[in-house]
Amino acid sequence: MVGRNLTARFTRSLFTWLGIAVATASMVLFLSFGEGLRQALVSEMGNFGPQIRVVAEGTDVFSPPQPELPPEMLEQIRAMAPELGIRKIIPSVMLVRGGFDPATSFFFHGLPEGADPRDFYPPAKAAAGRLDPHPDGAVVGAKKAELSKLTLGKPLRLSREVTVPVVGILEPASGLVDSLIFVPLKTLQQVLGTKNYGVFMILLDPDAKVEEVAQKLEAAIPGIDAQSTNEALKFAERSLRIGDLIRFGISLVALVVGGLLVANTVMMSVYERTREFGVMRAIGARRRFIFGLVLSEALFLALAGGLAGVLAGVLGSAAINAYTREAVGLALSAVTPRLALFSMAVALVLGLVAGLLPARGASRIPVTEALGRI
Amino acid sequence: MLRAENLTKRYRQGSVTVTALEGFSYEFPPGPTAVVGPSGSGKTTLLNLLAGFDLPTEGAVELGGARLDRLGEDERAGVRLEQAGFVFQSWNLLPTLTALENVAFPLLLAGVRPAERRDRALALLDQVGLADRAHHRPNQLSGGEQQRVAIARALALEPAVLFADEPTGNLDSAAGHRVLDLLLEHAVGERRLVLVTHDLEIAARAERVLHLRDGRLVKIEEPAAV
Repeated sequence: MVGRNLTARFTRSLFTWLGIAVATASMVLFLSFGEGLRQALVSEMGNFGPQIRVVAEGTDVFSPPQPELPPEMLEQIRAMAPELGIRKIIPSVMLVRGGFDPATSFFFHGLPEGADPRDFYPPAKAAAGRLDPHPDGAVVGAKKAELSKLTLGKPLRLSREVTVPVVGILEPASGLVDSLIFVPLKTLQQVLGTKNYGVFMILLDPDAKVEEVAQKLEAAIPGIDAQSTNEALKFAERSLRIGDLIRFGISLVALVVGGLLVANTVMMSVYERTREFGVMRAIGARRRFIFGLVLSEALFLALAGGLAGVLAGVLGSAAINAYTREAVGLALSAVTPRLALFSMAVALVLGLVAGLLPARGASRIPVTEALGRI
Repeated sequence: MLRAENLTKRYRQGSVTVTALEGFSYEFPPGPTAVVGPSGSGKTTLLNLLAGFDLPTEGAVELGGARLDRLGEDERAGVRLEQAGFVFQSWNLLPTLTALENVAFPLLLAGVRPAERRDRALALLDQVGLADRAHHRPNQLSGGEQQRVAIARALALEPAVLFADEPTGNLDSAAGHRVLDLLLEHAVGERRLVLVTHDLEIAARAERVLHLRDGRLVKIEEPAAV
């Protein structure tokens, strides 16, 4: 009966279904960024060599750290290294040049002498040239080289005064490293006009305890954050959750509109079918039968719209990923099973809430009134 | 059993109280009983009360052993499902369902299994001569056919009482006679038929005729006297 009633008002049902589908799809897409970032982050952290990242206090995981760590701090950590089981300290600075579009942005990573991209991404390999940017070259990630048409020997301008040639191109690694450009640390410090560092990447001996070392570093050196990979992930997760909430809030607007569409459709349908409900009640239908019938129609619309919305979200997410893979070598959107289930649940709750009032109204129409028998 | 005792219904219309029915008492015997009277005489109000569509202001209604005036809406719906069948002037078939599904609807409410519902509904349609129209929607049927489907639906759960409110009012003479024949055909044995009409010719085919005027039962006649 539910199907018959909905198909009897096909165009209206279709538009309502589309409304819910669009609302759900927008929610799926909004939230898929959080899921995608989460997955990308875990994957990046998994490939990341250093176990501890020391930055100035207050620096978040997602922003490039500012050069706020003085050289004396490096010496302090070096002095503590044997005691704490620190195998290697890689001081670095980072520089982002470019605009909003990742394809035209440049992410420079300064490497000290004796360090190369493998210290950050152990599987890194050179597809052309060498891995070490020293003394005055640049090693470019595969995606960046492809997008900016960088080949060996091509000059890369870091500032008005500083230009370095491309001396190496990395093999594709399906990660952030594909979009990075490694240059000598001193060159980047010269560009930034500083002797400070933005970050100390710390590699530990195999038997050293990561969290313990991080705690000791923070205790010994005021003004720093020593973030272990786990801690960074936890911090990132907190940030992502806040982002999720904000995105969910935004998509809620679309969802509320979708809910109002369902409520409107079902209410109109109830209004038009007052006599039908009267006939059903006259024949012997109890209130809960009418209530269930009307609510089922709302839920069916919500379920069908939700399914279509999730499917559209999956397709949209694939399209976004096709772009971000091309642009930054990362899939930034992901429709995970939990996101799909959550979206379906939200769509169903929407249908339920939107259908409750019309269903209640339909089940309470007096028989005599519904049949026009007064 | 269908019995009314001192049935009274008053409505408020703004500041005025209108008495639609007053002091109606009657025990309907098996067989067809017609209720006649001019417009506003209380026929529809009486049927509303006898069927439990509405509650009386005063008095009692007993249908199939249940005191409808003491029951809530849902309980009255339950009694109707078990005890009564309805045929209305404007047929009132469910427009999205086929003839077969309309006839099967009371069986669905009664929890009859799908296969049995289908078989019983088909047999009923056959009884009213519409087996070949089983899969047609109401809008694909003539008025007379729709009313015959409504009769088949009313008979689906073999009710003790059939209520028919102006069942031939919207039909031409031939279709009207066929519908009336069908109703009378099924008002046999212990089954009661309450036939509300303003047409004395139709009422004359009932075994007894109740005359209403200004909300009161004014006369009970045997058909020969009508």
